[in-house]
Amino acid sequence: MAAILVFLTMLFSALFYFGSPLNMVGAWEAVDQLSFLYYLVTIYSVVVASDIVAGEFTWGTVKLLLIRPWTRTKILVSKLLAVLLFTVLMTAVFLLACIAVSFLLFPNISSGIFPEGPGAFGMIMEDLLYRYIDLLVITIFSFMISTVFRSGGIAIGLSMFILFAGGLFTMLFHPLRYPWAKYMLFVNMDLGKYRGGQIGPAGMTLGFSAAVLGVYVIAFLVIAWLVFKKRDVAA
Amino acid sequence: MAQEPVVRIQNVTKRIGSKVLIDRLTLDIPPGQVFGFLGPNGAGKTTTIRMMVGLMSITKGDILIQGASVKSDFERAISAVGAIVENPEMYKFLTGYQNLLHYARMSPGITKERIMEAVERVGMQHRIHDKVKTYSLGMRQRLGVAQAILHRPKLLILDEPTNGLDPQGIRELRDYLRVLAKEEGATVFVSSHLLSEMELMCDTVAVIQHGRLIDVKTLGKENDAADRPQETAFEVDAPERALRLVKEGRLEGNHLIVTADRSATAEINTKLVLAGISVYGIRVLTRSLEDQFLEMTGGGQID
Repeated sequence: MAAILVFLTMLFSALFYFGSPLNMVGAWEAVDQLSFLYYLVTIYSVVVASDIVAGEFTWGTVKLLLIRPWTRTKILVSKLLAVLLFTVLMTAVFLLACIAVSFLLFPNISSGIFPEGPGAFGMIMEDLLYRYIDLLVITIFSFMISTVFRSGGIAIGLSMFILFAGGLFTMLFHPLRYPWAKYMLFVNMDLGKYRGGQIGPAGMTLGFSAAVLGVYVIAFLVIAWLVFKKRDVAA
Repeated sequence: MAQEPVVRIQNVTKRIGSKVLIDRLTLDIPPGQVFGFLGPNGAGKTTTIRMMVGLMSITKGDILIQGASVKSDFERAISAVGAIVENPEMYKFLTGYQNLLHYARMSPGITKERIMEAVERVGMQHRIHDKVKTYSLGMRQRLGVAQAILHRPKLLILDEPTNGLDPQGIRELRDYLRVLAKEEGATVFVSSHLLSEMELMCDTVAVIQHGRLIDVKTLGKENDAADRPQETAFEVDAPERALRLVKEGRLEGNHLIVTADRSATAEINTKLVLAGISVYGIRVLTRSLEDQFLEMTGGGQID
């Protein structure tokens, strides 16, 4: 998995390298360009989260897991922690690969977009943080579906749907037209749009969106926990 | 029995929707025994076991394992238990050893030596480092037993453990369970619908049907009671004449069946022989567990 990620990072940076006029693209700009590949990390995380609980049910190993001297809550929490560790690890691998490849191929010059020096790094990190929050929300959603429906397929499918149809939903149910729409998950997913103190449609702010996302995440976790705790494990 | 029971199933009811799967089941399991749990398909054996190990919630009542409630003190109750519920499902992409290691990490104080000891107990040392997907059903069953005994449980719960084992495997398992019960002082709780199997394996058998406890029987005491009158069949060449001569019992084909103790059996035999009736065979009709079981469950219908 990590290997594919690193390979694609190298592939695309090479494409940028040969596709752009020489010495015009700075290294930080290249990192920024490559960040769309972070979708891959999101997909990996969703796949892992979708299977980590559902897989145990499919294999039947959940029976042997639940008869150890640990409460179900602890088992579910350890599963969640494993997923979170995976997302952090993948994000780190991605970031390192991006920076390493970019600085190998492109000169460290200032360009139109980024000022030279640590400012660029800060902006990249801020962007990555927003993307990571996006990833977390979808991954935890996938984790919940995996726990509730015990089916990895449904979890992957629904999460991908949210990931890619989110923009469409935002267009259909625009907060300006429907006041309730600003509480929808999709509309709040992209925190990057508030960058530099911008205000979203219908008076949405960074704090508002963050709070809405937080409530969704907590709701997902509580649902997963309740279902996992109460479930009768048969067959 | 003076000893504190290992398991106390107290008035347990399990309801799913309007269907009552287990109806006010109360059962104490004494320590150090191989305890059989017998019932036709659908009687509620697996449901009871699932409730004992916390895989299913208990609608009413409680189950205590070594005094700890499965409901409210799960971690303490379950730490004394090793179990296989139905088929032992393992991670197929791992080796047998890796599977055991995974489960060992989830219980405190299991050393690598203990894992290998458990492996040797079930005779898997030659294949333990192969992937589980290459194992036969019997080998998976053995690995399941190894997994269940890793942490030296006080109570070993096995749900239909002989399913899919060949005769040799069944025999080994049987002997092994006896050893466990004797040497490690573990109590073994085995469920099965195979009556003959239970007869050979268990000290005590509880019979359950339609979610209700029907009977608890202690086995292996029949042989001591040789002096007690028992139904005895005489195979003779002239059954009617034999019946007139003996003046009791009944006929079944060319068998005369009389209730008699040992000396009476000898007397009847002398009488028959002196009257010129050929006696081809005499045998005591022990009612097997199977007969008793079918009698108790009335043939057994699933509904």
